[in-house]
Amino acid sequence: MNPLNTDAEIEAIVADAIAAEASTARREAAPPSSAIVWWRAQMRARQEATKAVERPLTIVHALAIACGAGLLLSIVGSAFADVKLSLDWFATVDLTSRWIMLPMTAMLVSVLVASVAAYVIFADE
Amino acid sequence: MADVTFLDARRISADAETADVALAMDEDAFRAFYDRTSGALWGYLSRISGDRQVADDLLQEAYYRLLKANTAFESENHRRNYLYRIATNLVRDSRRRPKPLFAEAVEMADIAAPDSHADTESRQDVRRALGRMKPRERALLWLAYANGSSHAEIADVLGLKTASIKLLLFRARRKLAATLQRG
Repeated sequence: MNPLNTDAEIEAIVADAIAAEASTARREAAPPSSAIVWWRAQMRARQEATKAVERPLTIVHALAIACGAGLLLSIVGSAFADVKLSLDWFATVDLTSRWIMLPMTAMLVSVLVASVAAYVIFADE
Repeated sequence: MADVTFLDARRISADAETADVALAMDEDAFRAFYDRTSGALWGYLSRISGDRQVADDLLQEAYYRLLKANTAFESENHRRNYLYRIATNLVRDSRRRPKPLFAEAVEMADIAAPDSHADTESRQDVRRALGRMKPRERALLWLAYANGSSHAEIADVLGLKTASIKLLLFRARRKLAATLQRG
């Protein structure tokens, strides 16, 4: 640096250089319109709000599924002996008999109807 | 407490997607503030980061964070300083990410598209000189001489003590002047 430069001269050099560069930057600047930035901010804030609401729901879903699975396993485990007995009984019964066929068909039909009804109700929601 | 069913929860979730969300300003106030400040902020971001693309990205992020800020602003100046503080922190964070292959000084020199004006070379010199400075020094000089901020405002934006700004500015000025004079 030139040793003759005083602080005032240095300040003038720097101020001129930065002012010129700032003026160039202002000409170069092409920020998106305020309407677009506002709209994006709204969208993003809504997404974040939705995520914040859904996070506890996901946790509750996971807990419900885990509880359901645990319950199912415990029921299957405790009822295993009874189920085995029933299966043995089925092996001894004539399944083509109408006293067996009629209740079995009625049960199957009601399960099907209940499934379709549940689908129609929840699809509307 | 009232029971909330699964269907209620789904409805709340759907409402969150469509309802007006709480932001720190209303649309008209935000748009007026943005129109007054975005050009200057883009200039600050592009010169401090040395990268136009980074400036484009950080500009929108800075305004979004301002909108989400739960802060009561005493004045327009207070809001603008807060915006610059967010922008400064964003640039600082962006530097922690992986760097491009070329040097920062080169990025700064190449920041504008080449033109045929007579002063192109001197402007390139200024950019090169700024590119050789530390980001904090660039921010100090830009806030002082491009924005005309006071020492207290610079300290607020950069998270420094007001008393140290005078000395830091003095050093930064001498460094830039020396680099410019060396060419």
